[in-house]
Amino acid sequence: MKRRDFMISAGAVAAGLTLAPRMAFAAPGTIDWFTSSDQNVLDFWTNVVKPKFEAANPGVTLNLVDGQDNAGLQAIAERAQAALGTNADPQVDIFEGFDARQPVGAREAGLWTDVTGLSNYSKINPLAIQLDGLPENLPYRGSQVLLAYDTTKLAAADVPKTWDELITWIKANPGQFIYNRPNKGGSGGNFVRRAIYAANGNDISKFKVDNFTAEAGAAALDPAWAILNDLAPSLFDGGAYTSGNTQSIQLLGQSAVTMIPAWSDQALAAIASGALPETTGLVQLSDLGFPGNFSRMTIPVNGVNHDLAMKLADFVLTEEIQTAVLTELGGFPGVSWDHIDPALREKFKDVIPDSIPVFPGGDWEKAINENWYRAVAPNVDPAS
Amino acid sequence: MTDRPVNDIVGTRRGSWHVGLLLVAAPVLLVFWLIIYPIISAIIRTVWLPTEGGGHSFSLETYLFFFSDRYSLNNLGITLWTTGVCAILLLLVCLPIALYLRFSNSRISAYVQGLAIFPMFVPSIILSYAFIRVLGPNGTVDLLLNSVGLPRIRSPYLTPWGPVIGLVWDHIPLTVLILLAGLGNVTNQSIEAARDVGARSWNVLWHIILPRISNSILVATSFSVLGIFSAFTLPYVLGPAAPEMMGPFMQRTFRELFDPQNAITQAVVAFLFCIVFGLFYVRSVAKNRKA
Repeated sequence: MKRRDFMISAGAVAAGLTLAPRMAFAAPGTIDWFTSSDQNVLDFWTNVVKPKFEAANPGVTLNLVDGQDNAGLQAIAERAQAALGTNADPQVDIFEGFDARQPVGAREAGLWTDVTGLSNYSKINPLAIQLDGLPENLPYRGSQVLLAYDTTKLAAADVPKTWDELITWIKANPGQFIYNRPNKGGSGGNFVRRAIYAANGNDISKFKVDNFTAEAGAAALDPAWAILNDLAPSLFDGGAYTSGNTQSIQLLGQSAVTMIPAWSDQALAAIASGALPETTGLVQLSDLGFPGNFSRMTIPVNGVNHDLAMKLADFVLTEEIQTAVLTELGGFPGVSWDHIDPALREKFKDVIPDSIPVFPGGDWEKAINENWYRAVAPNVDPAS
Repeated sequence: MTDRPVNDIVGTRRGSWHVGLLLVAAPVLLVFWLIIYPIISAIIRTVWLPTEGGGHSFSLETYLFFFSDRYSLNNLGITLWTTGVCAILLLLVCLPIALYLRFSNSRISAYVQGLAIFPMFVPSIILSYAFIRVLGPNGTVDLLLNSVGLPRIRSPYLTPWGPVIGLVWDHIPLTVLILLAGLGNVTNQSIEAARDVGARSWNVLWHIILPRISNSILVATSFSVLGIFSAFTLPYVLGPAAPEMMGPFMQRTFRELFDPQNAITQAVVAFLFCIVFGLFYVRSVAKNRKA
């Protein structure tokens, strides 16, 4: 083939490939699933849920799509909302890691399916329902931030177990702790939120999604910034902050620090993949745990494969998948612990939370994202 | 007998001018639609603010905030500092490479060229994590130093030097290629002539080579400056939490503080700085056309 012909045909193939996904239509029997979660969750679905579900339902395929992040899913949900009431195909059947409160107005417009009628719904951990309460949200897995540490440098017996012990330890071991910027990943974000709880007498009831005012914000957050500023000189490199969960794990893996806050599921996945050594220890604070949350699935009413999507949602709450959430993903099951094998319950009893503090989003989150950068990140001594 | 214009002899067809305009119409319209129009609409959105009564009025509030806010000014400052340091380092690194590639006839120069172009094929997110592995704390460099009994380096990771090193490495290919193209204008004869009258290498560089490629240096600098000013990934992953460069700062203001008004203001400020370098580039292209 002449070079020119080759270039032309290669160009045509490339152009065709870029156009192809745009022209795809939802196929019957193929469930279009979109996630906002990290790679470890997508891997879990690819390697565990998909083969099991497809084996149990011959002829059905799961099309797993990485929607990148919450904003990515929101755009797809907006497409589904726009298709409501028309015959247009939204090309999506189910969302993972989403919230039925988004996009604004979608819930009122009737975009989301009420999932309380699922046969396994009653198995869901009451804690998860109490935290959320929307009948359109299906909590199916949880994760919580905990401390990951290097057992070769710090014996399990000497690990801090309360917030005060943690602060004392960080100050006694300067340069050995780092957390990431609160808006760049939940591990650092929830470390900062734990500091906010600590500055407010560990009173989690003080923070609600609708009780933010400028005065309440300043009164509750300023003491937390004082704690974090006080801590800064004892952090890695005299007050450096990584830009994400993964980078913190990388620094712990390179033995540059001794302890980091980490998501339970990411830490377990990192240990399993070798990114963190076998000698990594995990511990949760006992006075009040680091905040965490349950991840939810939502199902639009107008998906072409709506019935199959409901079947999938029910399937995910079975003991088989929920056990895998614990053993394969390293998350907490979305169902009550009574629905998990007792042997496993015993094995994981150290990380089973009896309460997960959940810090509200909305205006509180915005205030944290803005003020941490202004008050803590520049490492300016407040006394000077 | 009257004098006729020369172009009659070459035979320019009448009326063909609009074919040319038609050919450029599509890209020009695209530029208007995708670039010029958003710029104008962004500027209007930052000065024509909604009032409490539901109407709109002219206000420079967001600009006053930006230029009176210490934090925003620090971010602008670090962006200008990073851009300036990167531009100087790029010239210092790339000019010798380009000179070597232009004047060397050895077989090694092909490999050097390959190495110099290589960063072009490495996505910056991969570069960032590789950087942490190599130059980060307890990274490869530390391990090598340690193995010969030397003390560890103070890692540039999470300091303003982190993005500088990453951005310089990332922009080497483009700068080398532009300088190399410029060096094509320097003929071997002119250099031999200078040598014949006894010019030293330094004199050849200063009086023969640099004047010929000053235009390319200007183009290479404006290109790298434009890229570095708006860089996102490398400053985001490798830089300190504060001050932030404008790229991450805009993204955070827009997506995490839900504050499009201020994010657009930051974008307009960044655009005003970039347009200066853009004009340098346009001017040098126009000058070239005339020559």
